[in-house]
Amino acid sequence: MSQEYSDYLAINVLNEQQLVSYRSLSRALKVHSNLAKQMLYEFHRKQNSKKPGSVHATYLITGTRKQQPQVATQANGVHSQESGEDGDTVMQSSPPLPSSSAPQPEEEEEDQAPISIRTVLLVKEERLEQAKATFERIMGIHVYSLAANGLSDVQSLTECNRKIAVTYASEDPLQAWKQYGTIQNPNVKRRTQRRQPPAPAPDTKSTAAKTKPAPPTTKPAILEKEASKESRDDAQDSKPASKPSSAKATPEPAAAKKPAQPKRQASNIFKSFAKTQPPKAKKQDSQGSASASPAPEAEDDVPMNDFSDEEPDADDAEEADAEETSKEPEGQSKKDRQKALEAMMEQEDEVMEDAAPDQKEEAAEHDAGAIDKIAEKAEEPKEEVNVENGRRRGRRRVIKKKTVKDEDGYLVTREEAAWESFSEDEPAPKKAKMAPAASVNKPSAGGKKGGAKPGQGNIMSFFAKK
Amino acid sequence: MTVQYGASDDLLLQKPEGAAEQEVFDRTPSVYTPLRTYCLPKGEDRHYQQQYADMYFARLAQLKPAVEQIARDTFDSIEIGGEKCRKVDRVLDVRQGELCWVMGTIYMEMPLKPNVLEDIGKEHWIAAPPPRVKYDSGVGSAVEGARGAHAAGTGGTGTQIMLEDESGRLRLTGSELGTWVLVTGAIVAVVGTENKDGDFEVLDLRVPDLPRQPQRWETEDGEIALRAKKMASQKRSKAGKVAIVSGLGISGDEGDTLTLDLLLEYLLGESASPDDQATAVSISRLIIAGNSLSNSSPIPTRESIIAAAAKRGGRKTYGYDASSYNAAPTDHLDQWLATLLPSMPVTLLPGEQDPTSTALPQQPIHPAMFPHCRAYMTAPHSTDKSEIGWFDSQTNPCDLSLDGWRLLGTGGQPVDDVYKYIPNCENRLEMMEAMLRWRLTAPTAPDTLWCYPFQDGDAFVMKECPHLYFVGNQPKFETTVIEGPVGQQVRLVAVPKFRETGEVVVMDMETLVPELVKFEVFDE
Repeated sequence: MSQEYSDYLAINVLNEQQLVSYRSLSRALKVHSNLAKQMLYEFHRKQNSKKPGSVHATYLITGTRKQQPQVATQANGVHSQESGEDGDTVMQSSPPLPSSSAPQPEEEEEDQAPISIRTVLLVKEERLEQAKATFERIMGIHVYSLAANGLSDVQSLTECNRKIAVTYASEDPLQAWKQYGTIQNPNVKRRTQRRQPPAPAPDTKSTAAKTKPAPPTTKPAILEKEASKESRDDAQDSKPASKPSSAKATPEPAAAKKPAQPKRQASNIFKSFAKTQPPKAKKQDSQGSASASPAPEAEDDVPMNDFSDEEPDADDAEEADAEETSKEPEGQSKKDRQKALEAMMEQEDEVMEDAAPDQKEEAAEHDAGAIDKIAEKAEEPKEEVNVENGRRRGRRRVIKKKTVKDEDGYLVTREEAAWESFSEDEPAPKKAKMAPAASVNKPSAGGKKGGAKPGQGNIMSFFAKK
Repeated sequence: MTVQYGASDDLLLQKPEGAAEQEVFDRTPSVYTPLRTYCLPKGEDRHYQQQYADMYFARLAQLKPAVEQIARDTFDSIEIGGEKCRKVDRVLDVRQGELCWVMGTIYMEMPLKPNVLEDIGKEHWIAAPPPRVKYDSGVGSAVEGARGAHAAGTGGTGTQIMLEDESGRLRLTGSELGTWVLVTGAIVAVVGTENKDGDFEVLDLRVPDLPRQPQRWETEDGEIALRAKKMASQKRSKAGKVAIVSGLGISGDEGDTLTLDLLLEYLLGESASPDDQATAVSISRLIIAGNSLSNSSPIPTRESIIAAAAKRGGRKTYGYDASSYNAAPTDHLDQWLATLLPSMPVTLLPGEQDPTSTALPQQPIHPAMFPHCRAYMTAPHSTDKSEIGWFDSQTNPCDLSLDGWRLLGTGGQPVDDVYKYIPNCENRLEMMEAMLRWRLTAPTAPDTLWCYPFQDGDAFVMKECPHLYFVGNQPKFETTVIEGPVGQQVRLVAVPKFRETGEVVVMDMETLVPELVKFEVFDE
């Protein structure tokens, strides 16, 4: 425990020269904020006893300040003060509205009742004593943040909270925040988020988008995941896992994210990640050596290591696509290929809508994913849904197409019926959810059966028949 | 340098003991019902063709009975020199030399009041005139002495006070006139005589005074009774506190939001000592009274247009300038609220600078501005009117029922406008009190305050007296309690701008006694 936090602080404060507030520490280590405050204190004390001045702290003091003149004015002196020294207002203060039965005297008395003022004051350590002196009574004091060498601008502390918002965006606050000591509210009313329409989709949690220049893919879920990953790297340490703590600390966020996901973000994130699987399978076949290229997030997330290798090689992926299409005739009809093509086009902007809800294990950050997916995902939206109009919600059965690679390296396309719910929020609810990808390794015979199902009424299928 | 820790035995300044189980609190619940007094009809039912004159007629008709009752009690018994005071129905029926009393609407003619003709002329001015702090010219106030420009009614300042009803206008004068707070739109009864100049010499004046004040829990009890549930004498848990803040003024400029973060952490119960955290637990709701954003009004003020034009090198552009749009402030506000919402419910009132309608009553800020907070709001097409959002974007002004009390809150525009009418007066509480006694939430609308042209009755007429009247975006924190003729007690609170003062009002909802929490960065 003690090892963990001092390592974390050593890396972030001393090596990385980051600002660490008690909040960011509590999030990083998943501890109560009060505990985090003590950790900051202890670390600060230890370091400065070794080498004075090496770590700079800011403190938060709460309490009652000594009555300063302006405070008195703000609190309760207004009325009496004005009528006392300002001749002009004396008349104004006399009953302005004669109909009332002389309310003014009581008012004056009431005014005299002192209004308690509680002050929450943030102060740099060099001014701590000075600030303490202005207090009449100090309720509490704690270390707010640590920084390596002095803090030039106090306002830069806002960066801590901004980072928290970005990094831990995927946490469900209703569940995760309890461990930080946030006041819980059993009465919270939150609508269950319906699946968001594609365009505004990034809103759910994508603060990341505003800070991170995202690659021009159109998959918000992936974006946010990536961004949050990246910034977590920033926040923690982007160095390879040379320090023991990074290994220790980082699995926790990853692990903690999992329980949070199913509730809210499940659909988006899982969906997008589901698609990363086919590329992975292929890559292992065709170009397993990609891991040589730099993988910035590799060391960060243990469960995702096996994916990190495909990030840098978008180009390779495209080559692979070509490869793949050439293989396709073996297992598929011409029609299917047409559909795959068509799906490819459509996916440009609607990828995030379809996915399999499992596979969170493989949920990897994945830059090249966009291109991979476009190429490989032979997924076809059927327009013949049961209920489509009227802005109602309901469920419909759709046929989903899935191309997977079997053990022999053949591509297999299968069609599977899947239920998809839709609602009034989706103006064009034509996307279907991917069927669970559990059947990835089925023999290609199964795929054949699916291939027979044509996309009626589809202009592409018309061309295919020629 | 290292700090002297000394003998500080403070809990948080010590070695962390890993095993120590830290307490997690549950927040006090709040009983909350927004009353939709100020909701305008939606869509096609909202019209802007009506004449504003109707509002004045409606207002006079609505408030006349109340004034008449109060005035009759006192004025009818007045007898001067054997002449009995009698009531005159219309202002034009006032006869010279006769002692009488009459009711009507106050109209103030002031030299610096906004004037459309003058505005057109101003477009051709070389230098813009200074902003109007007050509508009276300020020139004559010294001459008039202690009572200011008001005193003579028709003083050297050019201020004229008139009483009007559907028949006509009567100019008011008299030395007493300066002692009363008066603005355009107030409904009053005056007693006096018409002098030889045709002006009405006012001897005394009456206003409608506070309306009926409901009992605590009246609204809730009524609803329970309506739903035919047994009048459960159910135990109501002790109410917590409500935090009222205004003028967050998020501008999108980096480096000015640290106090905002401190406020957030305090409300979440993460910062400060365990004692403070225990206090924060009792804060059951946050009310934001206007101006959460700075400079986000869809209609920029004249000053900001001038400033923007100057920045562009004097060129004037009209209409919407997409290049100047900055999403960062809204985004920041959204994020800020979204962090708070899991822990506490929030009521948001728009203010002058917020991105919603500019005319009073300002309608709720649209949920589209809050992508992160939307999950906590009611569904957009919810048909269930009784559904209350955890995050409640409200109108300004707004009428709430909170922990049994009736709350009336505004973003501050009505008081700011009334302020301009009253010379030499900085006392905001007095203006707030006057507005309550006039029974008007926005007396100066539609004269100098933008408002919706109400057709069937003036919505700004208070039907019931609130227990707590808070006004946002005031220069400083002030509070008092006023009493009405039949024992009504109203707590008035002027809520300061958070951005300037760092102050948040925390109101105890059992006693209605406020306290102040101030967030500061020690930087001297």
